[in-house]
Amino acid sequence: MIAEPAHPPSRKAPLVWALGAAIPWFVLAAAQVVWLIVDRRYPALHAAAAAGTLLAAVVFVAVVPLWRYRVHRWEITPKAVYTRSGWLIQERRIAPISRVQTVDTHRGPLDQVFGLANVTVTTASSAGAVRIVALDSHVADQVVAYLTDIAAIGEQDAT
Amino acid sequence: MTVPVADPARAGWHRLSPRMLLVHPVHEVLQQIPLLVGSVVLGSATGNPMWLVGALAMTVVFGVARWFTTAYRIEDDEVELRTGVLQRKVLSVPRNRIRSVSTDARLLHRLLGLTVLRVSTGQEATGDGAFALDAVETDEVPRLRAILLAESTADPAGPATTAPRRELARWQPAWLRYSPLSFTGLAMIVGAVGVVYQAGAGTVLHESRLARLGLDTAERFGVAVTVAAVVLAVVAASVVLSVLRSLATYGNLVLSRDREMLHLGHGLLRVRQHTFDMRRLRGGTLREPLLVRALGGARLDAVMTGVNGAGEASLLLPPCPADMAARVLTELIGRPDAVSGPLRGHGAAATRRRWIRALTVPVLLLAILVVLAVLGSVPVWVWPGLAALTACCALLAMDRARSLGHRVDAAWLVARAGSVERRRDCIATAGIIGWTVRQTFFQRRAGLATLIAATAAGVKRYQVVDVPVEVAWDIAAVATPWAAELR
Repeated sequence: MIAEPAHPPSRKAPLVWALGAAIPWFVLAAAQVVWLIVDRRYPALHAAAAAGTLLAAVVFVAVVPLWRYRVHRWEITPKAVYTRSGWLIQERRIAPISRVQTVDTHRGPLDQVFGLANVTVTTASSAGAVRIVALDSHVADQVVAYLTDIAAIGEQDAT
Repeated sequence: MTVPVADPARAGWHRLSPRMLLVHPVHEVLQQIPLLVGSVVLGSATGNPMWLVGALAMTVVFGVARWFTTAYRIEDDEVELRTGVLQRKVLSVPRNRIRSVSTDARLLHRLLGLTVLRVSTGQEATGDGAFALDAVETDEVPRLRAILLAESTADPAGPATTAPRRELARWQPAWLRYSPLSFTGLAMIVGAVGVVYQAGAGTVLHESRLARLGLDTAERFGVAVTVAAVVLAVVAASVVLSVLRSLATYGNLVLSRDREMLHLGHGLLRVRQHTFDMRRLRGGTLREPLLVRALGGARLDAVMTGVNGAGEASLLLPPCPADMAARVLTELIGRPDAVSGPLRGHGAAATRRRWIRALTVPVLLLAILVVLAVLGSVPVWVWPGLAALTACCALLAMDRARSLGHRVDAAWLVARAGSVERRRDCIATAGIIGWTVRQTFFQRRAGLATLIAATAAGVKRYQVVDVPVEVAWDIAAVATPWAAELR
């Protein structure tokens, strides 16, 4: 059996994921409230829609972020970048550092508020990108600096 | 022939063939048909036919202008293409990035002795991004091809064309026996019917004598016979069309190689030539669709950097005898055991998963039908139908389980899977630049995983489906030393 990657993502990751997931469900709930105000003819339909929204919101806002936090791990060894991600469907990805082409950092609006960053390491294969998500900004900066330093970027990319 | 790269006379810009002055306006008119139709409408509405004349003249002028504004240049380190009448665009491709050169001549081009020449690099390029010389004179093509590929072959002893060419495969009429089994004929019929209806012929047809004749016949012979006759006619037409298309596309196919290049040429009407850089070859895929496999056939795709993995671009051999496809792939990669050696199966859990997945639908249907039968009545013919469906699903599961297998050593990874579209991927481990081990919820419970090898070549991702999870890591470790270090 292979060793698991060593490092968890930022401690703030579940909170950010939960907030990100909560926004669309909140919009949907608001739409349902508007619908209830406008049209009160089908109480059973309203109740079913509300129950469905509530259940899905609980799953995606409370359960999934914690589940993902338990799964997500990353590690950079001298030879490879290694991650584990997902929740229902889980993936472990490895890319050799010698074949890294680019290292990108991405910060969404919520990531900026909470000081998180996502690092994407790409190789010449469109199927081979490795994403390390929800790192604390300073960790992400270290990762990018380390990778751009160690990886002889573009030297041999197996194309 | 020498490679006249340093020749100062060739350092400048070249125009495409002057004969394109004839082709461009025709293409332009065909492209601007909506505009021309609009001008006809406008002309008849205003009673002024000058609208049409004006639009036509504009279009033709535009087409002619296209020739004057298109030019290409072959520099020491890159090739450049300038295009665009109103919006100027310069596309440059570094010459050491050129991975393959292909040519294509449709009927109009052939009549004028012209050929389209396309250059493909490692990057994905489609539509506007593709480097295509549309078109140059056919006599020019061998010279241009040699120049364009000279940098990538980088053979100081001389251009690659001097090496002797060895023929790997040549099309034979017997290959036609696989073509009735494809759906291309049916697709062509459906497409033609769609176009006819789009053009508004549907309503005309409804009131025509033909429709009345059809209805009369249906009344005389009964609906079942008429439907059967129509189906038979469509199937027959589809078979004939498939065979004809296959003949027109692949009749005269020749696959040959010299030391560094792989040459593929085919097409009776539309002539296509591909030249691939052998050093970019990362393996091959033997594809055996169910019906082709039933007749002992297979097709061969190249796994090559800079060549789109799916579809026509990567095709090396159309459906042909399986041993021929295997022999050609063996010649290309030099490893008979990878091409046809026995594979290691994926074990009982993977087999169980094939059976569960295949039988889910019949079992669900059975449950629904039982409920319906208890509540009311179900027609009797449903039960034999369900039995037949279940039998088909069982056969599918058996075949899919039998197909699963892999084989790995330090140099080659081989994976086989599928039934209706069975494929055997042979991938050079030197080209593998990433691994994904993917597990769904059910795969985790069964202790299985899908191992995906990422490469820059072909379809980019090659799967080993449903291997036991520890075997997945073993495969990765054997194939690529950098993955072994993580254990």
